[in-house]
Parts: sequence; C-alpha cells; structure tokens
Amino acid sequence: MSFILRRISTTKTGKQIIRDAPLPGDAITLGREGSNTIHIADLAVNPHHATISSADGRHVRVQASEGLGFDINGRSVDVADIDSAAGAELRFGGHRLTIAREGDAIILLVERIDELSQSSKDVDEAKAFSLQGVMPGKRVGAWTFAILMLLAFLVGPIWAWQTYKNVDERPKGYHADTAWMSGPLSSAHANLKNDCQSCHVEPFVAVTDKACVGCHTGEHKAMSAAHANAPTAMLLAARAPKGTGEKILASFASAFNRPEGRCVECHTEHEGAGPMPATPQKFCADCHDGMNGRLKAAGHPTELADASDFGTGHPDFRPLVRSAPGAKPVRTLMTKGLADYNGLKFPHDMHLQATGGVARMAASFRGRYDFGKKLECANCHKPDADGVRIKPVEMERDCAMCHSLAFETVGGVTRTLRHGEPDQVVADLTAYYRSTPPARPLQLGGMERRRPGQYAEGQVYNIYFREVAVRPSRAADAVRAVFSKGGACYDCHTISPPAAGNGWRVMAVNQTPRFLEKGWFDHDAHRETECADCHTMAEGSKASTDFLVPGLRQCRDCHVGEGGARLFKVETATESPCAMCHEYHSDGGKPWMPPAQRKKNTAFITKQPSRDTYTVSQITGRTGRNLYNVTWRTPALQATEQGG
Amino acid sequence: MASLFSNLFRGGRRSKATQTERVRERRHEGFLRYANFRWAKISGGLCLLIIVSYALVDVTPRHNGGSWYGYTLGTLGAGLILWLTALGYRKRKMTSDYWSLKAWTSAHVYLGLSLMVIGTWHTGFQLGWNVHTLAWALMMLVILSGLYGIVVYATLPQALSNNRDEMTQMQMLEAIRAFDRQLHSAAQPLTPQDTAPVLKALDEDPFAGGIGARLSGRYRNCATAAALHALAGTGTSDPEAREKVVGLLKQKQAALGRLRQHLKIRALLEIWLYVHVPLTFALIAALSAHIISVFFYW
Repeated sequence: MSFILRRISTTKTGKQIIRDAPLPGDAITLGREGSNTIHIADLAVNPHHATISSADGRHVRVQASEGLGFDINGRSVDVADIDSAAGAELRFGGHRLTIAREGDAIILLVERIDELSQSSKDVDEAKAFSLQGVMPGKRVGAWTFAILMLLAFLVGPIWAWQTYKNVDERPKGYHADTAWMSGPLSSAHANLKNDCQSCHVEPFVAVTDKACVGCHTGEHKAMSAAHANAPTAMLLAARAPKGTGEKILASFASAFNRPEGRCVECHTEHEGAGPMPATPQKFCADCHDGMNGRLKAAGHPTELADASDFGTGHPDFRPLVRSAPGAKPVRTLMTKGLADYNGLKFPHDMHLQATGGVARMAASFRGRYDFGKKLECANCHKPDADGVRIKPVEMERDCAMCHSLAFETVGGVTRTLRHGEPDQVVADLTAYYRSTPPARPLQLGGMERRRPGQYAEGQVYNIYFREVAVRPSRAADAVRAVFSKGGACYDCHTISPPAAGNGWRVMAVNQTPRFLEKGWFDHDAHRETECADCHTMAEGSKASTDFLVPGLRQCRDCHVGEGGARLFKVETATESPCAMCHEYHSDGGKPWMPPAQRKKNTAFITKQPSRDTYTVSQITGRTGRNLYNVTWRTPALQATEQGG
Repeated sequence: MASLFSNLFRGGRRSKATQTERVRERRHEGFLRYANFRWAKISGGLCLLIIVSYALVDVTPRHNGGSWYGYTLGTLGAGLILWLTALGYRKRKMTSDYWSLKAWTSAHVYLGLSLMVIGTWHTGFQLGWNVHTLAWALMMLVILSGLYGIVVYATLPQALSNNRDEMTQMQMLEAIRAFDRQLHSAAQPLTPQDTAPVLKALDEDPFAGGIGARLSGRYRNCATAAALHALAGTGTSDPEAREKVVGLLKQKQAALGRLRQHLKIRALLEIWLYVHVPLTFALIAALSAHIISVFFYW
C-alpha cells in the first residue's frame, strides 16, 4: 500500500505538467506547516489540519486533528472513511484533495481551486469601477418610472372618467382624475371638485354652455335682459373686427375645437380658491368700444354711446331728473345748471354755513344730537340699511330736530302739528284756540281784593276778558300764519292757498331714490371720503332744484380704467373695470364683486341715528319751546274793537 | 440668430469648419465654452425674451398655462424636452459632419437650462398638487441633476486625476492583488487565531458596499482595517512574522483607500445620470399625461 501525491501545474502556454511523488508511511499528515507530509500553503488550512491513513490499502480514513473540519461532497465533517476505488473529493480551505485509485496505489491530487483573495478574482472593469454594479440600471428605472406615471396619471384618470361618465355626483373618496385639476375651483363651485364630469362632460370637447345652464337655470341663464332681446345679427355686428393676432388665435381655437363666446370665456375657472374673479373689462369693451358706429353701419342704429374704458372712454352720466315741478322723471344728459324739482325748498348753502343762525342753532343742540359747531351733511342725510344709498329725507327724522312742529305742552307732554296732513293741522290749531283760555295775568291771581279801576278800558281785567271772548277766532289767524311766508310749512314746502272747495294744499314731495339707474354707486364703499369731496356744489347751492349728484369728472378724480388709463392727473388711482359699476346678468342689481375687493361697512351701519330722533316729545323737550304758543299781547283785531 | 445659422449652412462650409475645428482642438475648447458660448447666448436671449414678454403681454384674468401665451411656451417647452432627450440617441450615432456632438451637447446644456425659465413661466407661477405641477417638478429635477452633472464634470476630473497618481484603475486593483499575495505568504507562520482576520481581509471584495458607501467613501466594516486593528495589538504568533503582516496590511489599506477614493469620485461623477435619465423618461410620461389631460378635459 502506498500513497502517491500528484501535483498538476499549468505552464504559461496552458500545458499541464503532472508530477507524482510517492509518500512514505501509512499515515500522512496534511497542514499548512512545512513539517507535514502534504504541505498546503493556504491560510484557511490549519498548521496540522488532518491525518490520512489506510488500514487495508483500499479504504482511506481522513481525520481532522485541530478542530477545523473539511468538506466532503459539500458537507463539513471531522472524520471520513472513503473507498479509494470509488474515489472522493475533499476540500481543505481553498484547496481540493481528490482521492483515487490507480493499480495498487492511492492517488492524492492536491489543487488550489479558490482564488488567493477576493480581489484576485477577475473583474469586468467597465462594470466594477462604475456605479453599474451598485445601482439598478438606468433603463430599468426609466421604464419603471414612466409606466408608473402613465398608470397613475393617465390610465387612472381616464378610468375614473369612464366609470362615472353619466353620474351626477360621485361617491366620496379619491378619484384619480382630480390629479388633473389645474387649480382649485372657485368657492361657488368648490363642491364640484370631485365631479370633473359635471362640467367636462365629453372628452376632447371644450366645456359647453349647456353644462353651465344645467345648474344655472335662473338669472344667469345665457344673457342679460338688455342683450337677450337683441337679434343675433345685431350682436354679431357689435363685435369689434378682429386684428391679425386675434385671427391667428381664433384659427387655433377653431382648429383645437374651442368655440368662442362660451360662458367660460368670461367666467374662468380653476384660477384659485376663493370667489371667481370679476369679469375683465375687455369682455364689455370688445363690443361697446366704437359700437355705435358699427351698429349704425350694420343697420341697427342705437342710442347707446360708446364705452371703452372708464378712465378714457365713458359717456357722460344721464341721471333721472324732473325738469319741472310735478314733471315725470326722465333720463337727462348731465349739463351745467341741470335742475331737478322735488317739491322742497332747501338752501344747502345756508344750512352748511360755518357761521350764521343755522350754525348757531346746531351748536346750541350739541350734546343732544350729534351736531358739531355747524351742520354736516350726515346730520340730515342718512344712509339706508346696507349703506349703498342715502335715504330720502324724512321730516320727523331729519328736519324736526330744529324745525319743530310742537305747539303746546299738556301735563308735560308736547303736542305737535301732524306733518304731512294739512287738514289735520288746521283742525288741531282750531281746536287749540277753542279749548284753551289765554294765559291768565299774574295780577288776577290770589285772594287779594281788587280795585274797581282795573276793569277800565286798557286795564288788565278789560284786556284779559276781551281776549277770552275773541279767543276762538284767533285760530284762523294762526292757521294762516303757519301756511304763509315765515310760517312753519311755508319755509320748506310749496303751498297753495285755499281755493274753491279746497283748504290749504302742500305740493307733493318726490325725492328720487336713485338718480343713476344704469350704474351702481355704493356710498358705503366711499365712506372714507368726505361727502363734499364729490358733492362739490352742495356748499354753494341756494336752491333745492340744483342737481348736486357728482358727474363723470368727479368720479375720474379717483377712478381710472381697468388698466390704469386716465385723462387727468389722479393721486390715488382706483382701477375700475366695467363690472365695478355695471352688472351684466341682472340689470338693476348690485354688480357682483369678489369680497376681497369689497369693503365691509362698519361706520354707517353701527352709527344709527340717536333714539331722540324718533320721539317727538324728546325732540321738543319736556319744557317745550312753545314756538306756537300765542302769548299775552295787545289785541290787533279790528272786529273785536268794534263788535265787542 | 439668422447669421449664426447662415454660417453653418453656407457653401464651402467644410474647409472653414475643419479650420475652426482645428483651432478649437488646439485651445481645448469644451462643450461649455463651445463656439464662444454661442448656445449660452442664444438661450440667455430666449430667457430674456420670455421674461420681458411675460411682463408685457396682458393675459386675463392672469397668466397661466391655459392662455395663448401659456400654450405657446408649453409647446416650445415640450418640443425642447423631446429634442433634449434625443441627445441620448445622438451620442450613440457617429457622424462626421453637421452638428458635432460637442455642439449638440453645448446646445443641450444651455437650452436645457433655459427650459427652467420656459417651463416655470409657462405655469404662470400657479403650482399645486396635480399632474401639471408634477411634470414641472420632474422637469426641474432633471434640469437640476443636469446642472449638478455640469458642475461635477467641471470640478471632479481634477480630483480624480490627482488621486490616480498616474495609475490606471486596473493598476490600482493589481496593487491590491499584489499585496494580497504577499499577505498570503507572509501570514503562513501565524497561528490560526491570527490568520482568521488576515483571511477575512483577503476575502474582502474591494468593490463591495452599496451606493451609500460608494458616494461617501466610508466603509465601516472594512476587514483590512479590522485585521490591522486585531494584529497590531498583542497576538499569539511570532512577533516578527506578525509585524511583517501588519506592514503589508497597512500597505494594502493605503492601496484600498486610493481605490475607494477613485470609486467615490467616479460615483459622484456618475450618480446624476441615474437621476437624469430615468427621471427624463418619467418626465416624458408625466408630460404626455399633462398634455392629454388638458385636451381630454378641454
């Protein structure tokens, strides 16, 4: 029995050289140390790793000696019995020991099969030194990302649209096509944010008016009253001819199936949360700029004046005025000296003077009313509840603080003449004179005995008792005084004296509540401006027929066109699109404007007129000012003198 | 701009072109300063034109992608994105005349940068959580990664060259292999306890480590460093043999450090393409969804 150690080495040319060396002894040691029979220079092999022995020259026993085992057929063992005729492969570290039998000899073939170190392995330079080895491929990434994008943002939304095509309201939850939303919907449409199909009904068809009027069945249907009655030919003729750029845009619009003139052209959506923006000026000016001439040329003459921009091209105002007492109100072009007859006499100049009787009277009432050193506009003119307009002047509320109608105090209660009812005034005064004696002179009081001489002509008794006798007939005198020059009624009203069958008559008062009917003026929006800044002529106005509503020129002191166009020097310019004053859909209403552009009224609404204003007894005061109390005086009536 | 193009297409162009090409090569003109910054000027002018016209054009109620101006910019931007992507095709295609790859790259870089203005001004600065903004964001990421690429291409090759010290990368690896062989034989006399760390060091793959290790250059579980640490202390083997192994381990560590620094710089040079290219295709997909969505919900 003998062991033969076979070593195979490979030359540079690839030729294999086999060297066999017989090994002495029955037991062969194997290890890293040089003293071993088989010396394997492998750090993974112990210095004395194993002993190989054979008892019968055929069966080989391999025994690991230092704890570290070896591999046989892929399994790690410490001892193995091998039939050399069958052969076996054992692994020690990076080496392979093959046991075979040739004739009588047992062949031990030792070869290095593993690389010496990890770095000694062959590498693909291009791959190993670049990121290819550690990153997923760019191509894989590109495909993955692209497919994910298409699934999430193209297939998903289209699927969502297909699923809910004819549904009014989608169930709650995520719908993939909301990822297509280009911007938040306006607050009015915010609840539609999950229901894309409610406006985008057909794919590749631009949003139609039909989708709008499906919900907007009322006032917003199609067009305003003024425009809806116009024939289509006229509306088309009104449009400004297109320029080259617009023609190009229109050709693109028609090529991409985007018809003009749809609701959404003015009412743009997906422009951000909050209210829809006000319609820009160009949507009005497109037609109204130079429209008069175009319509005339097209055979649709119109009275409408051209309007292009508030700052530069706006027709003069045409307020509603009564050109004569009792005339019907007619829209009249605003010219200098325009008169409006409302039936009242009221000199603004006298009431607004800083000195003089009115100012002194106002000053004397300071503390009782909100008067200053003189009268202000707001002392008599009160805004209505929403602050938009000024209420018509009311006698009891706005005049009676000074112009009292009190005539008697009974037990601390002041009686006043009935305003607005001349017949009642006559009746009250007559009754007053019939029922009340003249004031009793002091001399007639007390229990003291009186001397007879006092009854003589011209003496106190005589005068008093004659006054008592004629007292009832004084009524007619007082009535005449009230209705005549210097009297309480005559001062403010136009009076017609009694004629056949009629008593005293007061001409009806017609205060126009709104002078500018086509535009919307909001006093509240201007509350930080002094009244006189716009109503410039009030301070100098001597007659109530003077028309004191400001004209276009005054507006333009602050208001310029939408784009800032102006004819005059403006210090604080307010850019004013048409929609600031004009309402398209519902004529007569307040033009719609986003709340951010509106200013909330606080001063006017909270500053109510004082309670005093409404209580007549409080107006005249507890003591009463007795303006109509006829006092002791020498009789002036001839009839009494003569008839006794 | 007209004169720029007429120069290109005029007759007798070739002899003149080769002449200028020679001058360029002599001056070592890169894609950034190609043709005296021709494309930088063109795209700069384009950006200026867009910014100025954006301010001048009156779009009601406000600028957005859906106005005529927005559609113009959008069409321009989408076309540009497709053309910029075509660089990937162009660079694989060898041509000898019209549009050298350098010219193409120069145009790619500068027009790509101008896309930041075109795309952003196309949005009208209205951004939200939707596919439209997604496309914009992807576009910006692609451009920014490209910008990073330009910066590292301009700065890192110097560092790469300094680190290389006139070695090729295979020579760097070969040095490690040599130290491994020496280590292997030097470690033979060591005791089994001492050979274990050496064996681990030999078993270490110099290219191991994920993308994080590549980019940072820090390898926390480095077996060579661990072996050095283990053998530098007291060991059981013959001190002389151990000292020799320790010396070799130090040398191997230095060689490994150089290789790892090389790998780090290369990773920094290459990583942007792993963002740039996949995101470009994500962008093209998102852009398609963006365009189709606009027409679908027209």
